[in-house]
Amino acid sequence: MAAVGINELHKNDLPWILVYDESKCIQCGKCTAVCSFNAIKPAVELRKKSNSITEKNKTEKVLVIKQNVSLENYCRGCGMCANVCPNGAIRLIRNKDDRYSVAYRAIKADSFKKGGRSNLNTEGRTLDKIKIGRISQMTDPSLDAQRHTFELRTPFGRVLKADKLNFDVKDGKIIETTQLPPNRWIYPIIFGDMSIGAVSWRMWEAMAIATAYLNEVMGIPIRMCTGEGGIPTKLLKSRYVKYMILQIASGHFGWNRIIKAMPDMTEDPAGILIKIGQGAKPGDGGLLLASKVAKYVQEIRGVPKADLLSPPTHQGLYSIEESVQKMFLSMNAAFKFKVPVAIKVAASTTSVSVYNNLLRDPYNIVGGFFLDGLAAGTGAAHEISLNHTGHPITSKLRDCYLAAVHQGRQGEIPLFAGGGLGQTGSFAADAFKLICLGANGVFTGKMLMEIAGCVGSDTGRCNACNTGLCPAGIAAQQDCLVKRLDVDKVAQNLVNYILATDIELKKLMAPVGCSTLPVGRSDALITVDKHISNRLDIQYAC
Amino acid sequence: MTICKIKTLKNNNRMSTQELLQTIYKKIDEGHTEFEIEACGQHDIGGAVKAKKDDASLLFRITNPGQRVGAMAMDGVKIVVEGSAPADIGWLNSGAEIVVKGDGGDTAAHCAAGGKVYVGGRVGTRSGALMKHDPRFEPPQFWVLKNTGSFSFEFMGGGIAVICGYDCDNLDSILGNRSCVGMVGGVVYVRGKVEGLAECVERIPLDKLDKDFLKSGMPEFLKEIERPELEEELLDFSGWTKIIPLPKELKEKKQPVKEFIKNEWFKEGLFGDLVEDNGEVFGLAETGDARLRKPVWDKDLCVSCDLCLKNCPQNAIKKDLANYVSEPEKCIGCGICAAVCPRKAWKMVNN
Repeated sequence: MAAVGINELHKNDLPWILVYDESKCIQCGKCTAVCSFNAIKPAVELRKKSNSITEKNKTEKVLVIKQNVSLENYCRGCGMCANVCPNGAIRLIRNKDDRYSVAYRAIKADSFKKGGRSNLNTEGRTLDKIKIGRISQMTDPSLDAQRHTFELRTPFGRVLKADKLNFDVKDGKIIETTQLPPNRWIYPIIFGDMSIGAVSWRMWEAMAIATAYLNEVMGIPIRMCTGEGGIPTKLLKSRYVKYMILQIASGHFGWNRIIKAMPDMTEDPAGILIKIGQGAKPGDGGLLLASKVAKYVQEIRGVPKADLLSPPTHQGLYSIEESVQKMFLSMNAAFKFKVPVAIKVAASTTSVSVYNNLLRDPYNIVGGFFLDGLAAGTGAAHEISLNHTGHPITSKLRDCYLAAVHQGRQGEIPLFAGGGLGQTGSFAADAFKLICLGANGVFTGKMLMEIAGCVGSDTGRCNACNTGLCPAGIAAQQDCLVKRLDVDKVAQNLVNYILATDIELKKLMAPVGCSTLPVGRSDALITVDKHISNRLDIQYAC
Repeated sequence: MTICKIKTLKNNNRMSTQELLQTIYKKIDEGHTEFEIEACGQHDIGGAVKAKKDDASLLFRITNPGQRVGAMAMDGVKIVVEGSAPADIGWLNSGAEIVVKGDGGDTAAHCAAGGKVYVGGRVGTRSGALMKHDPRFEPPQFWVLKNTGSFSFEFMGGGIAVICGYDCDNLDSILGNRSCVGMVGGVVYVRGKVEGLAECVERIPLDKLDKDFLKSGMPEFLKEIERPELEEELLDFSGWTKIIPLPKELKEKKQPVKEFIKNEWFKEGLFGDLVEDNGEVFGLAETGDARLRKPVWDKDLCVSCDLCLKNCPQNAIKKDLANYVSEPEKCIGCGICAAVCPRKAWKMVNN
C-alpha cells in the first residue's frame, strides 16, 4: 500500500463527509446509482475475520459505500443518496474544516468556479431588519386581504409626465398627436432571466407554461424574461410571446433565430431587457461551461460544444450615452417602437449615475431599470466574483428611487429590484418592502429553482449548477438528469407559489390600507437598526 | 294607557339624545307602550328597550330620526319611521320589526340577527353586512323595495335579504358593486340586474320554496311600506334570482395546470423539435435510460469468478456460456459489479 502523502487531497479536506452505517446497509446500490457527481462508490474493504490470536492475520472482504476523494468527483452535499436509502444508512455532514478550495487552487492553478449563490452571508440581510410598522387602524380604512379587491399591477415601459403627453382634441375626442412610448401594466413579479442552457429545457418549459397559465387561466399578468440563450421558434411565433421579455446580453446568443422569426410573429413580445450586468457577478460576463452546451443548446445559440464566455461588457458600448443611442434605439426600432425596452444592471456604487442619465434621455425610450443585488444566484461564476463583488440591492434601489424623487421624476422609468429575494423564506415580504422603498416590481430566478426542487442553499449545499450535473434536473443538460424533472408538477408548483405570494402580498397591502401597489410608501416601513434608518430614510423604531 | 307623544324641538331648543332616551325609559317604566316621537336627529331611538310587562309590546312611531334607529332592538318592539332614516337602521337588531317608509342610509340591517327590517326606498353601502342567524331563533329578514349600495352583504353569515329592484331602471346593478364579499351564509333574493358580485357566491334561479317564501312575505312588507299596489309586479318571478355562498370546494379557483398543458400548450412540447423527450419522468435509481452510468464488461480481463453475478443487487447480470451480460432493464448503474470484480473486468461508463 502506498504511503499516505500529506500534500495530497484527503477525505477530511472535502466540504462534505459521508457518514455510513454498515450495519444498516443492505447493499442495494441505490445511493451510488443516483449520485450525479459520482462522489460515492461501492468498494471492497478488508475486515479482521476474528479476534482470536492465532487467526489475527486472517481477513475477509466486505462491500461498503465509500466517498470518492477527488477534485472533480466530490460530494456537494445534495443528499440524493440519503433520499433513496431505504434504511437511513447514509447521510452527509458538513465539514467545517474543509480545505477543498485551497487544494483546488493549489493543484489546478485555476480559479474555482461554481454555480448557485454566494456563501458569504456575513453582513446579514437588510430586509430582515425592516418591518411593516404602519398599520391603518382608525386613521384610515384597513382592508381585508382575502376578500377585497386589489390591483397588483405595475407599469413596464417609459412613463411620461402629464405635461409631456401630446394630446389634441379632434371632433370632440382626445387624440394622441405623437406616438407615446409603449407601456404595459404587468404583475409586479417577473420570472427572472435564466437562459436555455443555464437551466434545462424542462425547467425552462415549466416556467413558460406557468407564465402562460397564470396569464390565461388565473388572470395574473406575470411576465417571464427569457434569459439570453435563445428562444424556441415555436414560442416566438405563438401567442405566448406576449408574456415574454426577450433578453439580449453581451453574448447576443440566440438572436439569429429571434430575428428570423420576427416576420412571423403574430404578437409583440412583452418587452426587451438589455442585460448589462448581473448581481451575482457584476463586471463579469456570462459563463456556460462546455458540459452544459448540449446539442440543442449549440443549435439554438449557434455555437460549438465549448465553454461559452460572454464578454463582461457589450462590445461597442463605451458609455451610457452610446448605450442609449445604439442599444435602446435599435431595440426600439426593431420592434417598431411598440415594445418597452428596459435595462438590467448589477447594483453598484455607480448605478445611480446610470439611472440619472437614462432619466434624462431625450428620446424617452428607456422603459425600465432592473437592479440586481449581490445576493442573486447564477448558473456559473468564478467563486471570487460570486463571493466578493457586488452591492446589496436595498440601499441602491433606494438611492435610485430617491434620486428620481429629488428631481420630481419618480416612476418615469419603472424600477425593478432583484437578487436573493426570498432568501430567508418570505419572498412576498421582501417584494413588499422593496416596493415600499421605491421598486415598481421585483424579479426572481433563484426562487423559481427552489420551487422546482433545487436542493442548493446559501450555506454551500450543492451549488453545482455550473457542472450540468444538477441532481434535480433543473440546471442539468444530460438526458438522464433533465428527465428527473416533472414539467407538469414544476409548472403547477410555480403557479401555486405565485398564487400564495399573491395572497401574501395582499396580506401586507391590506393592513397598510393600500388596494394598489404602495410604490415608494416608505412611511409603511420601520427598522430597529439606526444605520438602516438613516441610510434608507425610514422611521427608526425601538 | 295613552299614547306618549314627544316633541323634541321646542322653541328652537333641541332635546339631546340622552334626554330623549331617558324620557322614553321613564315612560316605559311608567307602563307606556306606544310612542309618537317627533325626533330631530336623535340616535338609537327604539333600541335596547323592552316593555315593562313581559307580555306587552312597544310601538314607536317616529319622524326625522337620527342614526341607528332600532339599533339593538328587541323582540316585542315595532318601530315605524315615517319618511327616511339615516345610517344603521336596525344595527344588531335582535327581534324588532322596523319599518322605514322612505330610504335608509348606509349599513342598514348591519349585523341584524333577528326580527325584520323593512325599507320602502333605497339603502346605502354595506347594508346587510354581517347579518347572522342563530338557529334557536327565527332568521332575520331584511326587505328593501329598491336597491342597496355597493359592498352590501359583506361577510353575511345568515338570514334572508330581499331586494326588490323597484324603480331601478337606470342602475347597472341593484346591489352596486362588489357586494357579498366574504358571504358565507344566508340568502339574498334580488330582482333585476346585478354586476360585480364577489367571486365567493353564486347567483341561481329560485326554487319553489324560495317563491313560497316571497309570496308569503311580500304582502306584509308592501302593506307596511304602504305600497300594496306593487304586489303583482313584484311577484312576477321572471326577474328574480337568489345569491348564496359557494361551497368551499368551488371557491378554490385553482385548476390543474396539467389540463392547460393538454389543451392549450404545444402538442409535442416547446422543445419537441430540438430534443428527444417524450415527457417520461425518471425516478431516482431507475433502470435503462434513467441510469447515470452503466457497466461495460471486458471479456479479456474476466476470470469467471461470478462475484459480480452474486453481488448484483438487481440480479441484472446473466452468464451466457462464458459471457457476462448486464441487462439494462434491470440494472440501475450502482457500480457494485465493478467494485467487487477482482480483475476490473466491469467498468462503469456514463450512460
